[in-house]
Amino acid sequence: MEADVVIVGAGPAGLACALRLCQLIDSGQAGALSKDNILVLEKAREVGAHMLSGAVLDPRALAELLPDFAAEAPLQATVGREGVFLLSSHFALPFPFIPPPLKNHGNFVVSLNQLVRWLGEKVEAQGVTVFTSVAGRDLLFDESGRVNGIRTDDKGLDRTGQPKSNFEPGSDIRSKIVILAEGPRGSLTRQLHGKLALQGRNPQVFGLGVKELWQLPDNRFPAGQVFHTMGWPIPPDLYGGGWLYGLPQNRLSLGLVTGLEYTDPSTDPHTLFQAFKTHPMLRRILQGGEMLRYGAKVVPLGGWYAIPPNAGAGWLVIGDSGGYLNPQRLKGIHLAIKSGMLAAETVVQSMNRGDLTQLESFDQRMRESWAGEELRRVRNFHQGFEHGLWPGLAHAGLQTMTGGRGLREFYPATAGHTRMQRLDQLPNRNEALERREVITDRVLTFNKLDDVYYSGTRHEEDQPPHLLVADTDICSGRCVREYGNPCQHFCPAQVYEMAVDEQGIKRLKLNPSNCVHCKTCDIMDPYQIITWVPPEGGGGPSYDGM
Amino acid sequence: MKLLVCLKQVPAKDAPLKLNSAGSWIVEDVSYEVSEPDAYALEEALRQKEAHGGEVTVITVGPQRAAQVLREALAKGADKAIHVEGDGTQLLDSFATAEAITRAIPGQHFDLILTGLQSDDSGAAQVGVILAELMGIPHATIIMQIEPVPGGVRVKRELEGGAFQYLEMPTPAVLTIQSGINKLRYATLMGIKQAKSKPLSKINAETDGISVELNRLVIERLYVPGAQKKTERITGTAKDAAARIASVLKAQGIGAGE
Ligand SMILES: Cc1cc2nc3c(=O)[nH]c(=O)nc-3n(C[C@H](O)[C@H](O)[C@H](O)COP(=O)(O)OP(=O)(O)OC[C@H]3O[C@@H](n4cnc5c(N)ncnc54)[C@H](O)[C@@H]3O)c2cc1C
Repeated sequence: MEADVVIVGAGPAGLACALRLCQLIDSGQAGALSKDNILVLEKAREVGAHMLSGAVLDPRALAELLPDFAAEAPLQATVGREGVFLLSSHFALPFPFIPPPLKNHGNFVVSLNQLVRWLGEKVEAQGVTVFTSVAGRDLLFDESGRVNGIRTDDKGLDRTGQPKSNFEPGSDIRSKIVILAEGPRGSLTRQLHGKLALQGRNPQVFGLGVKELWQLPDNRFPAGQVFHTMGWPIPPDLYGGGWLYGLPQNRLSLGLVTGLEYTDPSTDPHTLFQAFKTHPMLRRILQGGEMLRYGAKVVPLGGWYAIPPNAGAGWLVIGDSGGYLNPQRLKGIHLAIKSGMLAAETVVQSMNRGDLTQLESFDQRMRESWAGEELRRVRNFHQGFEHGLWPGLAHAGLQTMTGGRGLREFYPATAGHTRMQRLDQLPNRNEALERREVITDRVLTFNKLDDVYYSGTRHEEDQPPHLLVADTDICSGRCVREYGNPCQHFCPAQVYEMAVDEQGIKRLKLNPSNCVHCKTCDIMDPYQIITWVPPEGGGGPSYDGM
Repeated sequence: MKLLVCLKQVPAKDAPLKLNSAGSWIVEDVSYEVSEPDAYALEEALRQKEAHGGEVTVITVGPQRAAQVLREALAKGADKAIHVEGDGTQLLDSFATAEAITRAIPGQHFDLILTGLQSDDSGAAQVGVILAELMGIPHATIIMQIEPVPGGVRVKRELEGGAFQYLEMPTPAVLTIQSGINKLRYATLMGIKQAKSKPLSKINAETDGISVELNRLVIERLYVPGAQKKTERITGTAKDAAARIASVLKAQGIGAGE
């Protein structure tokens, strides 16, 4: 199959890009480009089904893309009362005022998967084909090393990689331009970074957001109420925080982001989230309620200095894949949309001039837009938290006063997995070895398997594993001794288990069907031997209302 | 051969179901998919078409969201689709659904109409049978194989206990298809792209006179089955334990009488 533009990923970035291209075609600015030659690939069974976010939407970019959005878009509520709380295990100390950067006046509480479904319908109504249940599996390059297409996933392979009777091999889509909008830690984006040795000034760092959607018995947490928390149960030396966003019909979105840069290998973001709900403040809010949905996904937190070159010969990278997320406000939807729009404009201009090397102007366009300005103002934010909450808050205050600079122009960062400490280097080793279990009562707190059920996750069982572990001897040997197999702890869906075999040796047992596509393993494994690749298209979570 | 396949959109398997506050239906915030036996019916129809030529039309009765199963069917190779659409059509019972299908295809001739054996949600196994009655044509259920013969088809039916029945029947006919009789295909990229330009006609259920008024089945109440598990741990010597087991069985009326 041939195309002019292939967009991988139907999230806010990819869909905004497709929609902007259609607008430029409609207004006659796009020359020979036709809607029929724009293709969007999405690994989820339906558009939006792999979307998980908070989410408070800053409408700035959406208003540029669709000026009438407020009347049409599925917005849940306008932000009303706001609160920021500092938690200890028993107390919640409200900030006397909302620090200006955290103010959300004029923003909206949304369910990203509903918003994206709506965007998807708009794109399809324009005549662009959105291929759902289709994953981009490999980037294709021509002899000169130029990106010139995408290979899609094979379907109908069995566990051992042999074709079944309904085998359908992946197709090669040759395209003038490939736009990667895979969200955080994209698998094709990683192929690109590897092949072209691309990176930002700082390595990208991530947090894992674990989320539940709850039904509350009454309107004790009104739609549009927005609370953020800092502190407990996130250890003081680690970056992270919680959110509670009120939705209509007495629903509540709540979750906890844990920095994937912790030192203690037994850190378990899912368990921390369960502990979070046992805080007296949350317990009171959730009392008598019912958990409806579960999910987890990573967020890129590195900001400005972690943004790699995002344009080159035949390719562009947008949204979270490109690192466009404001780590201070933990907001990326508006930047994803903006980057998609600017990518579309760059594509059209380059095609009109018949010179695809012009794609490279995208990086500059982003830097010079309001999105670039917003990111630059918080360029050192996350790095300031390198040593935990208190120094972080001090840096953040200083940076706000100095337009993002802080103590120096450039704060360096280290890749999260390199900060994990070996068990024998941890100050209190025994405690680390013990898994810190929260008692799960299946009312307020849930174990991973219960929770995964509420993510609607499903995969074809008989297919090759999509978590490629380069050397499982490390898992049974070195990792047992050195880190105590952190994969069992960081995975929020119990994909990784260490089972003892007949010879008494611990062996890695994978449950790939549980995978919620959060990408944590690809990021946090201390030996960097796990590669997450997309499973057979259509598999994965089935998020609704998340 | 002209084939019609009836498809129903049902809550995805494993979808966390919740009852609405009136206890009359589920909260419809789950994801949906095509009912599994219907997917096999579609696959069988596509295979018949590939082997013997012809045309496959798919039909669904359901709210707007149900168009998804039609688009998927078109992407897999169906030629045309009909959507009997309306809010609340998910509340129709088997009779009203069969009635809706009959009214949607007046004057159209199909050699075979295939449905799934039963739907994954309500599992009544009725639509195909009632449809045949309404149309005045023969039907056969739990079909595992279809082979055209002059003037009709020869089919294999699954019976109880590993037995099968082979029979020949005239067409037009309705067949309800057993799950697992073939291997479901994947839609190809080309198929997905071409599906967009295939005809999908929409029929407004209301203008066709289709509503829950036609239902012959009344849902009194929906409820989540209460847990009934009772576990008793029997300890003590083998003799005491045996006596205790015997008395438990007796109390439940299991085992030989006096
Ligand atoms: C817990 C959490 C809370 C957040 N809260 C907020 C908030 O309150 N406000 C805010 O503005 N932002 C928030 N964000 C960030 C925001 O959700 C992201 O910035 C935004 O979703 C990025 O959009 P995107 O289009 O770049 O990527 P995504 O939304 O991740 O979309 C990527 C899409 O690509 C698909 N895909 C990936 N790889 C492939 C492949 N190889 N082939 C085919 N398809 C593929 C995925 O299935 C997905 O549908 C939050 C994020 C998280 C995780």
